[in-house]
Order: sequence, then structure tokens, then C-alpha cells
Amino acid sequence: MNNRDWALAPLAPLALRPADDVMQLERLGSLHACRLSFVRTLMRQMGRQRWQVSRERFDLDENGYGTAIYRLQTPYGRYHGVMFAQALDETRRSDRVIADAWDVTFGLVEGDVDDSLLEQMAANVPLQEAGRQHPRLLVLSRANKSLRNFAHFVEALANGQQPDPKWLTRVGYLYRTTAVYGNGKFGIADFARLHENPDFRRPFSPQMAGVYLLRHFSIEQVEHLARSQAPETACELATELRRYLGIGNSTGLGMAPFLIHHPQLIAQWVHQRETALALARRQAPTSEDRKRLIALFRRALQHLAETETEDAEQSERNAETVASLPDVLAWLESAPLEEDLWAQLVAWSERTLSLEAQELINTLLIELYPELADPLEEQMGVTENLDLTPDMSLIHLRQLIETHYNWALEHDYTSREGSYWFWYRSAEKEEPRLGVRHEEPGAEKEVLIAMGPRVAHSHAAICEFLEETPRAKVVDFLLAKPRHKEIIRRVQTLVRDTYGDIHANLWHQDMKPMHLLRTKLAFFGASRFDPKSDRWVRITLFQGAPLVEELNAEPEDLSHFDDWSFPLQPQLKNGTVDPAGLSPHAGSAEISAN
Amino acid sequence: MKVSFNELQGLCRKAFTGIGFEDGDAADAADMVAWMQCHGFNAIDQLNRGLDFLLEEDPEALPKVIYQDGDLAVLDGHGQSVLRSISLATELGFAKARARGLSVVKIRRCHNRQLIMGYLSRLAGRGINITAFWRNAQEPLTEQVVGFRAGHPTPEVRIYSVRDVPEENEPNDGITLVMANHVELLPSLGVDHDLNLLARHSESDLMACRERSLQEGIDVDDAIWTRLKTLAHRILVESSEASRGGAGAGVNDND
Repeated sequence: MNNRDWALAPLAPLALRPADDVMQLERLGSLHACRLSFVRTLMRQMGRQRWQVSRERFDLDENGYGTAIYRLQTPYGRYHGVMFAQALDETRRSDRVIADAWDVTFGLVEGDVDDSLLEQMAANVPLQEAGRQHPRLLVLSRANKSLRNFAHFVEALANGQQPDPKWLTRVGYLYRTTAVYGNGKFGIADFARLHENPDFRRPFSPQMAGVYLLRHFSIEQVEHLARSQAPETACELATELRRYLGIGNSTGLGMAPFLIHHPQLIAQWVHQRETALALARRQAPTSEDRKRLIALFRRALQHLAETETEDAEQSERNAETVASLPDVLAWLESAPLEEDLWAQLVAWSERTLSLEAQELINTLLIELYPELADPLEEQMGVTENLDLTPDMSLIHLRQLIETHYNWALEHDYTSREGSYWFWYRSAEKEEPRLGVRHEEPGAEKEVLIAMGPRVAHSHAAICEFLEETPRAKVVDFLLAKPRHKEIIRRVQTLVRDTYGDIHANLWHQDMKPMHLLRTKLAFFGASRFDPKSDRWVRITLFQGAPLVEELNAEPEDLSHFDDWSFPLQPQLKNGTVDPAGLSPHAGSAEISAN
Repeated sequence: MKVSFNELQGLCRKAFTGIGFEDGDAADAADMVAWMQCHGFNAIDQLNRGLDFLLEEDPEALPKVIYQDGDLAVLDGHGQSVLRSISLATELGFAKARARGLSVVKIRRCHNRQLIMGYLSRLAGRGINITAFWRNAQEPLTEQVVGFRAGHPTPEVRIYSVRDVPEENEPNDGITLVMANHVELLPSLGVDHDLNLLARHSESDLMACRERSLQEGIDVDDAIWTRLKTLAHRILVESSEASRGGAGAGVNDND
């Protein structure tokens, strides 16, 4: 590209990656959290708008059981996080949706909590799905303790010592949520009600705010327990450890139906991320930009190197990404500082690196340009309406399918391996499960998650209909074959939003559900992917995020406040906890343990 | 009991699937019921009264085009609920209006007709003006006129009784839909008409009702809710020790 072309480049249409690349299941399953992920955008909003968190009530007994209420004050409104902590028998501690009791249950309430609402919540929130929840609840959730971390933290703090940070590297939280409900579930407020609410109109932002308050509660609860056990010797948790403490989440197949049932929303998320990447990729880097990218890359790789998982495949993927460090550094340091350096870097990474390493580079390129990426966070929501275009000629629809859904027409859905799995909901609390077709009962009640076979089926019916009526319109076809309505209006809508459908046969024996889970979790902002089976994963949210006290201090340097991705294990030396060398907090005054 | 809009829509969708609706029809029917209920038209009661019919309907007896030309179509609804596949009859009217500027669609022999408003709202949102008209056979003879302005998903509704009952005995079990690209088709009754206005729902009244439903939740009779849950249960697969493994959860949740 010559100088003139480069000067005109900002005016040129953005070259977004094609859906055939981006929407491959394995690539989606290699995404990392980025600055458009929901935990990041929420923290930025909280800091920018000077949100304040205060403790309204903290009635916990010596075992840490009881009620706590936190007020969340924004310029626009007031909300309250209400936590109910209770004793739980170890045998009942299950992360699955089929559980019926938890260590902590909580809700985020719009407005004030008076005695009557608190009474109603105390009677219903601990029951979760089995209760009838109040329409002023924006979020309903529950969490279980990491028993080992909890016990170790209480013991250490009671003895006036800081827990070893390694405990939080292994398991990065004291609590992990097992479901975080929003949007009208079990009687709580509909998301539609928040469309005009500037605090929480972004997708999943109320849920993330609820989880953030739980994180603060977990710190205050563990300190309370330490004080209760040993008031003379107990100390508070060091700031670096507080910051390194996140909230876990345990997730199963329930994430998959969401991805399929909300294709326009998914398309919007992916489109914004791809736009941010395309904007970043065409920037002409300065030497400072290059240094910053190298620093970010080193930090991210240390984070991945520290990440522990028992899952062999995820370990291998992490190791492969970490092993790419010398090559990436050598490339970055040796390449001439040309205007299209980032485009060259992306092209080189696609040729030589693993998908996870490629997507890590993409994530970090987005990180480099907040002024370009951050405005896109306002575009993450969408009004969902899969509408028919009944007057479209049927032959045009056939062409659109063959152009945009060729991936769906290429598979064999009749072979055993090509139709191996079926998705269903169990009568046991409607838990989503996978069954083996022809072996397990329930295939006749299959949940229609796999779009590939349905598109192929509709395409075949359209071709047959066109032989008899080549000038038919879509509505003519559907009046004769109405069962294709759902898939046709989906196709007609998504040929305009091409990042809506995942390009994979979700029936196939080799399909990896974990990729589906990771897709959604990456947009949430998850880190520390720790698969517990091929369809069950634990992750961590808000690890490294600014603390409530840092938020309440009304940060002036918002870029520093926002720089918390890929958190690193702090260092414990002589009872003092310091930030890791590559941490954005390194170089600040040492933080005393007491 | 109070339920949310999303909860009502979700349960209806599962219940319609449990009854045997195709995926797209179940979604449309659920949208129609939830839309009506949150705009203050007691759709759940109507659904409850029609559920036994729905359960007995022949799923293959779908709306059939009896006659059509460029801007007119007549369909036979086979005496079924508008909840099942009637959306395609309205889409036919939409397609004709787009092509010709104005269309008339008559759907004969259908019931639960009021619920069609929920789907017409979607069409109006896509930029078409709509008037829907039907008569109810009970004494006194009443007429309902629903008008949507293009781009406005909330209608104006008028219900009035007709004093001069015609002697012809055509059954009152059909709907007439008029759609136009550019001409507003709102109900507007002149003061000198010999009609007795029974109900008038303005666009702003209905929008306020929707807002209230979202704020306060939607009242639903417990017994109807239980019945819908029973129907929704039909789509679930009974659990077994083996199927619990199908969720793929870890074996130990203590860490």
C-alpha cells in the first residue's frame, strides 16, 4: 500500500473477516475476553460515571450466615444487592441446575429494599427456581463456596497472615455462581424494561453488576469470619489479593441453546468485535504502540502460563499459545515499523500460529486502541426479530442459501457420525443434555439446536418446489410447506447479519460443545477456562478487576483503572503481597499485608 | 400469580410445542399470546377457553388459499385457531400489498381471532398500514376494528355493537385484513353513525398498559399456568441415571 492509499484508508470500508472464517466453531471456541467483553465494559462504565457502592446491612453470625445488603448508586438510579448466606451440607453442594440449595443466594434489586420486600426476598430468593421472585429484581443468582480456598483464607487471615496467592491461581475465587438469571426468569424484571435505563441497557450488564457485588461480599464475609474466630490477631486481606480474587462460574450445556436462539444478538457481538479488530488492524503503529503490544503479549502469556487446568486438551492449547512467545516477540521486534504492520502481523499469525494464539493477538490489538473500540460497546444490544420477507422470489432465496449457507449444505446428516448427537431438555429442572441418537431415548423430543441439517432440509424442499413453480415467491412455498417458516425467516434475516449462525454440524460426533460454551463466556469476559469434562467448564470473572474501594475513590486515571485484563499472580514475600512484575500495578508503592 | 413477559412467552412457546405446533408456529403463537396479555387483552383466558380445541385440531389442516389474484386472497382457516399457522395468511397479504400498494385478505372459518393482533403488530413494525375487521356472532352483533399505522407496533382498537342486524346469515367466523403501503387505515367512527361504541383502546393507552405490565408483572390465573406447564412438560425427556451424564457435569463440585 502506498502513502496515498494509506492516507485514504480510514475512509475506506472496513474489511471485516468473512463469516466463513469467524463463525467456525473451533475459532469461536478459541476466543479470549477482550475490552468489549461485558465485565470490562461494566467496570469502565462504573468508573467513568462514578458509581458508588456502600454497605447498608451486614447481619452475619459467627459462621458467616445471615443477610447483607449493598447499595449501588449511579447518577441515574439506585440499586441494591441483597445476599443471603446459609449453612449447606457438603453432600448438597452441586453446581448443576438440578441442585436445590446453595451457600449464597442473591438478587440485584432496582430501587430501595424495604422490610416487606426483604421479607419477600428472604422467603423466595434462597429457593431460586422454586420461588416466585419479585418483579423489581433485575438479577437472581446463587453461588457455592470453594471450600478449600474459603477454609485456607479464613485460617490465614485469622492468624494475621496473608493467604498464599497460589491458592487463587489454582482456583481464582471464594464463590462460584452456578446460574445468573436475568430477563424475567421466575418472575424477575424483563430485560425489555431496561431499554431506557442508561445503567443496565447493555446485554448482561445487570448480571455482571450482581456478580461484582458478590465478589465484594465474598471479601467482606471471609474477613468477618477471620475476625469472628480470632478478633485479636485477624487481619484484612491485602489489596493485591483482593484484586486477584474473582468470582467463579460453573457452566454446562445451558449456554448452547442461548447462542442458537439469539442469532441476531450473537451476530451483533461478533460484529462489534470484528469491527474493533478491523479498525485496529488498519492503524499505523508507532514504536510506543509496538512496545505496548509486546508488554500486553508478555502479560497475557504469563497469565496463560500460570493458568492451571486438569483438562489435557486445554492445557495443551494454553501451552501451545505460551510456546509461541519467542516467535511472536521475534517477529514484532524485527519487523520494520511499516504502516500496515498490524495487518502483516495478523496475516503472519494466521499462517503460523494456533487459533488460540491468533485470537490472542487479535484481542490485544483491540486492547491497543480504546478510542476506537470503546464506542462500539454501545452497539452490543439489538432488537431481535427474525422476520419473514414473504415477497422474496423463491429462486433468490435458494441463491442466498447457496451463497451464505454453503457450509450447511456440505455436511452429510444421514451418516451415523454426522447425526450422532441430539440435544434435549431433561424433565429434571429442564437441564439441557446431549444424547446419542439411535442409542438413547428422547430423540423425538430433540431441541432444534443444529441449524445445518434444517437449512439443508429446507434447501432440498425449495429446489423441489422450484422445479414445478419456478416463479414462486417465498410465501407461496410456505403456504404449501409451512414447516419451513422458522428456518426460512432465520436465513432471510441472517444473510444480512452474517455472524449469526455457527458454521458447524452440531449433530456431528466430533462436535465439541466446549467451544459453544467458551464463545459466550469470552464475551462475558471469562478467564481461566478450566474444562471439567467435554461439556462442563469452570471459569473466573472479575479476577484482577478494580475493587469497590478503588471505585468509590472516584479514579482520575481511567485508563489505568481499566487496565486489568490477563491478571497475574501477586508475589508473597515476608508477609507482604506485591503485584507481579508485569502487572499494571507493579511499580506502585508496596502494599503491606496489614 | 404474577409472571414476567418473558416467562409467559417462554412457557407458551414450550406449551405450544408440547401440543405439537411446528417450531415457528409455536414461537409465533407464544408471541401473540404474550403480546395480547401485556397489552391488556385477556389472551390467557382466551387461550384457556380454546385449548381443548387446539388439542383436538388436525395439525395437517392448514390454512388453504381458495382464491387469489394480484391484490386479493381468500383463505379457508378450516375452523382452526389463528394461533396455528395463520401468520402465513397475513404474510400473503403483506407480500401482495408490497407488490401492488394495497391488498385485501379474507380468512374464513377461524377462531381465537382477536389473538391475530399479536402477529399484525409485527407486520406493522415492518412498515405496512393494516386494518383488521371481524364480527362476533353473539347478541348484540359486535364489530371489532383494529388499525395499525406503518412502523407502529401498537394499534388503535374499536369495538362497537351494530343495531341493524342484516337478515343474511353468513357465519361470523372470518377476518378481513386490508394492508396498504402508504395509506393509514385507522378506525375512525363518525359521530352520526348509528353505532354503540363498546370499547376504544388508543395507541397510547395500550402502550401505557404494556409499560405497566413490564413494571409490575402480568397477572395470570394459577390454574391456567399449571395447565400450560403440564403441556410444556411434554417436550421434556424423562431423566434417568444414564441421562444425568448427558449434561457432562463434573463428578465433584467441592473444590
